[in-house]
Amino acid sequence: MLQTRGIELKNLVKVFKKKKKDEVRAVDGVSFRIAEGELFGLLGPNGAGKTTLIKCLSTLLIPDDGTAIVGGCDVNADPLGVRRKLGVLTGGERSLYWKLTPVENLNYFAALYGVPRSETKERIHYLLELMDLFDKKHERVERLSSGMKQKLSIARTLVHDPPILLIDEPTLGLDPYFARFIRTFIKTELHEQLKKTILLTTHYMDEADELCERIAFMYNGKIKALDTPHLLKKRMPQEQVLEVKCVGDIDDQAFSSMHEYGTLNLSKQDGFTYVRMSTENPEDLLSGVVEIVRDRARVLSVSVTSPTLEDVFVHLTGASLKDDTTQQ
Amino acid sequence: MRVIIEEMRKDLKILLAYPVEIAFWIISPLLWVVPLVFQGRALIGGLQSSAFGALAGTSEYIPYVLIGGIFSTYMFTAVWSMGNALRNEMFYGTLEHILSSPVRPLRILLGKALFNSLLSTCFVAVQITICVLFFGLTITLTKILPMVFFLILLMIGLYGVGFIAAALTLLIKEAHGVLHLFEYILFLFTPIRYPVEVHPITRAVSAIIPLTYALVALRGILLGVEFDFARTSLILLGIDMLIVPAGIWIFAAIERRTKQRGTLAEY
Repeated sequence: MLQTRGIELKNLVKVFKKKKKDEVRAVDGVSFRIAEGELFGLLGPNGAGKTTLIKCLSTLLIPDDGTAIVGGCDVNADPLGVRRKLGVLTGGERSLYWKLTPVENLNYFAALYGVPRSETKERIHYLLELMDLFDKKHERVERLSSGMKQKLSIARTLVHDPPILLIDEPTLGLDPYFARFIRTFIKTELHEQLKKTILLTTHYMDEADELCERIAFMYNGKIKALDTPHLLKKRMPQEQVLEVKCVGDIDDQAFSSMHEYGTLNLSKQDGFTYVRMSTENPEDLLSGVVEIVRDRARVLSVSVTSPTLEDVFVHLTGASLKDDTTQQ
Repeated sequence: MRVIIEEMRKDLKILLAYPVEIAFWIISPLLWVVPLVFQGRALIGGLQSSAFGALAGTSEYIPYVLIGGIFSTYMFTAVWSMGNALRNEMFYGTLEHILSSPVRPLRILLGKALFNSLLSTCFVAVQITICVLFFGLTITLTKILPMVFFLILLMIGLYGVGFIAAALTLLIKEAHGVLHLFEYILFLFTPIRYPVEVHPITRAVSAIIPLTYALVALRGILLGVEFDFARTSLILLGIDMLIVPAGIWIFAAIERRTKQRGTLAEY
């Protein structure tokens, strides 16, 4: 097992004790293996344990049980070895020194990661060009946009050219333009060009579907399913999904008479409510579902689509990936 | 060594980004030292006090207090700056990124400590200049070398104290109250403003604080008060040898505990 140059977890456990006898098993016996050069996704809603897992792998948390090997180094026995091989990128803006410039930030982190002094200048030049930040190299970080800050965070993560990357919710809070840039960069540059081993966590199913070769569904600290996106979708017993997009509040109780016909996924996004019913015969359910929705909300569109990873996740866990949703 | 230098350079650049902070470092040495002189004048009406001399070994009250006030700067900046160093990184959002790099946190703390020692030295140099120019303190070149020797011994011990202060911040996050308490305790039990011989308890507790011996030595050098050079330096060295490993051990233990409990990046 120690030979792996990717990542390998075996029965990893992390428990947070809140009060006496009150504990949360944030990571509960997680096992999987990520091959060298693989882009692997960990998909789950907020609170599923994804970030805790990333922190265990980056040695910021000490696991309570099990083993985790990163690039051939055990996180417990050789944390410094693990850190040398890792680059950790998190979503959000506060991971840089805002009073310093991009060059000063990168210079500092290059020193922390032991990049030889003779190579640092060239490396920083390369990364700033790569992230299209060269013109901003002497601006204070506080004056950069959110997207530029995230680009600089990526440059910081790559400053020591680590073979393994842990990327935690990389597009969180970014506008669609920068989110698209970051996704494309991860797939084409980091994965295809630079051949990095990547563990990406996200709660955006489109992001995981678009980027990852294999995906693990994580929920309540456990891995519920692990496969390629294509094969995960094949796990749905129904091959079609009836989707009604509407405006208004609907709860799952309204569909209590429909449960026997398929899996319901009720979600809200950007002010719209989406009612998705996985079924083998959408035509049979069409009038019934639309009638229920029309009694409670304004119907905007009705369509029949293929199952998404979200549908599979709901089918397997009974929970949604989104924060503001109810499902059954 | 490169990490330590880069840490110092980073902290300096961040300090320079706040002009009001620079103004503080320029003005406050004066504001810190002048009240001590006025306090002395008000209390004893001049430079000499025979009652004070019986306790302190010198009757020069104002120079005695000035030396205590000036050199205690090192103690308080060590406690405050190292106590707040990791706290600031928490606020910047960079603490986890530093701690997930392959650098031992103590090297980063050491960089921060050295930077603050440099700041303290500038602070002290300005204060000494004020005292020499306006309040009759005399310093000859022959006094500087032994002063530097004892200051280095003092600073080594203070880094141990600073590691403990940093560990406390990591553990309890909002450590202002504890650091204030720490500061008041040091004020109480070290001969900054009065000789610790004034009470048996202060005399006993002061024996384990490095600043006590440093002040004895510095007053000996600057005011000509009799002191045992070899004995004082050996005691300071002994305290350093105890307090630095203790600080490192406490910091490592508390860092491990926060990683077990998942409270590292909590505010």
